[in-house]
Amino acid sequence: MKLTRKELLVGGAAGAALGAAGIYELVDRLADSPTHFGEGREPEQHLLDGMRIERSEGVEVVIPTRHHQMVTAKIADSPGSLADARAALSEVLQKLDDEHPGTPEGLAITVAWGLPYFHTHVPAAAAQHLPFDRRAGKHALLDARRFPSDPPDARLEDNDVAFLFRTDHQEHIQKAATEIFDRMKGVLAITSIRKGFAGQLDGGPGLPKEMATAAGVPGAELIPDGAELFLGFTSTQRHALGPPRIVNFETLGLVDLGPRSYFRGGTHMHLSHVFEDLEAWYLNFDFRERVNTTFKPRMPVKEGTQTVPQPPARASSASEVERDFHRFGAIGHSSSIQPASRLQHDVRGSDGTLYRKGTAIPQRADFNTLDNPFFWSATPDLDRMTDEPAAGLHFVVFNPTSDDFHRNRLAMDGVMPGGAKLPFARGDRGQGFNAILQTTHRQNFLVPPRRHRSFPLVELR
Amino acid sequence: MAVRASRFTGYNVLMLRLAGAGILVALALMASACSGDESKPAAAAPPKAPTCPQSWKGAWHRLAVRVGAPVYCPTWMPNPLDGEIGGQWDNGVSVKKDRSYLVSFLWHEPPAQDVHVNFRGYPGRTKIPRCEDVEVVAGKAHKTYSPCFSDPNGKRRFGPIAATLYTVNRGVDQWHILYAWKDHGSLYAVSEHVAKPLTFQQVRRNLDRVMRGLVRVSP
Repeated sequence: MKLTRKELLVGGAAGAALGAAGIYELVDRLADSPTHFGEGREPEQHLLDGMRIERSEGVEVVIPTRHHQMVTAKIADSPGSLADARAALSEVLQKLDDEHPGTPEGLAITVAWGLPYFHTHVPAAAAQHLPFDRRAGKHALLDARRFPSDPPDARLEDNDVAFLFRTDHQEHIQKAATEIFDRMKGVLAITSIRKGFAGQLDGGPGLPKEMATAAGVPGAELIPDGAELFLGFTSTQRHALGPPRIVNFETLGLVDLGPRSYFRGGTHMHLSHVFEDLEAWYLNFDFRERVNTTFKPRMPVKEGTQTVPQPPARASSASEVERDFHRFGAIGHSSSIQPASRLQHDVRGSDGTLYRKGTAIPQRADFNTLDNPFFWSATPDLDRMTDEPAAGLHFVVFNPTSDDFHRNRLAMDGVMPGGAKLPFARGDRGQGFNAILQTTHRQNFLVPPRRHRSFPLVELR
Repeated sequence: MAVRASRFTGYNVLMLRLAGAGILVALALMASACSGDESKPAAAAPPKAPTCPQSWKGAWHRLAVRVGAPVYCPTWMPNPLDGEIGGQWDNGVSVKKDRSYLVSFLWHEPPAQDVHVNFRGYPGRTKIPRCEDVEVVAGKAHKTYSPCFSDPNGKRRFGPIAATLYTVNRGVDQWHILYAWKDHGSLYAVSEHVAKPLTFQQVRRNLDRVMRGLVRVSP
């Protein structure tokens, strides 16, 4: 099924784009709705209840939600009373919570706030209450930075707020996003809308392949049938994702929560957009090389495997990654991150849970996209918007702090947590699959707990 | 990435050459009754077996004699190429000591547009050769040897040829898709570069059509 250009594009205004599905309407035409169970509302905004866990090739996999949307915004020049805005947003979010369970069947909304918001609108309260990363000796929320493998023109964004919507039903997103931004008219000005999807390992060619093929993306035909993501491997192995509360500011003891623990139950979110060169991936890396570069050089994996086990006991240490580098001139994406992203020893969390050595910390919520680079942008020139669909990833990840995310991302580029620096050039083939990725945008956000998700700290100004 | 010679410097020059060359090639192809034309044959007339075009046949035959084994002559090539060894699109013929050969045809438009087709033969052996990769990391060279053709992506039959499609290929076939097949104890391959202005699907269709038109030329 190949889409017409008209089907790929949507109207120009943000309001129209919020309610429009564009190519992503195809997601629902291509896949039946799955059955999930469980519901409830946690104090944490970043947690999604009722996630389905299935076995794929003998490995436990968390089935991601099918539809994702991120809407970024800035506070308007003359927003009026922020206290009123706080009450209004709080009310509409509560209404939406009441209408939908916080499950894939319902709708999960995560509201995250950027440094520009805290610095501009609540500076004094932010100075007092923003969590402090004791390990880094810096605030838990830092400006985004470029990493060694990033293009020099990767844009570091300055949005005030980001709304992440996750569900199996696109109409829930369309309705909720429209409702929120109608209510916040004059207060929030949308800067970008980013949409995408994830495969649910439900047989057939799979959503990523079908969507990319319909969009005519180069290399789409080479995506293996059934893949969860464009690059052909499952990335939501249960053991590769942090357990529910591990990324809370307070859990691992990395963060000083300040005098009132205002952000207890909150976390940190990194958002970026990355182009994926599927043709280069599938025409230049054979299966063995794709395993080497995605996971670990010489990892024994049967030809054609998509779901590779990532158990805590097999997490790589920094010395193993360095050894791989010296022996093969290459590091794997997963293995290089693990010295930073997995617990290096057992930790008793503040929630009483014993988190074992090797447990993953980050909770990823990334999703594939055909946006180029966004579905809609208020500044199309600045964001280098193009009509032609392009394979990519809206990378969304929750970590306890900005510095924790930066450590993970630096390790992916061969800068190990202990300080060792593996001397890769940008785009080097041996540097994991960085060689076929191109980051276009980055920003860090703070995710308050649900009780403070609307204009945090405004009441303490 | 293999470095390829740029034989032409501009689109306009190319189009002028095509205007002349294209007519000649078209006439040659029509005269040879090759199977490149996908239009349906007349109902009663059985399709004619393709034959190596007269003007190309001599050079392909000389190659067969040189390597001491049959070679495969194309009767259809993707626009603007033709299959004339020594012709305007010839990008080189090489024969190694082990008698393996490479015949390459290339159209290149700077900065990055290519139509590039390679014909290979490995007389007397059917095993996929291994290619050397050298990665220099931190000043240290890491050599690895991998199959030159990998990631098999299905088999297809083209008349008497049962070929396997390989999607990851190395050396001068890097970023090409490639069909390889065995014939009387020898391995043969045809590949085409997946590059602008062509898409993967177009290259795949081209390659299928090249395969359908291959003619075995004995020494």
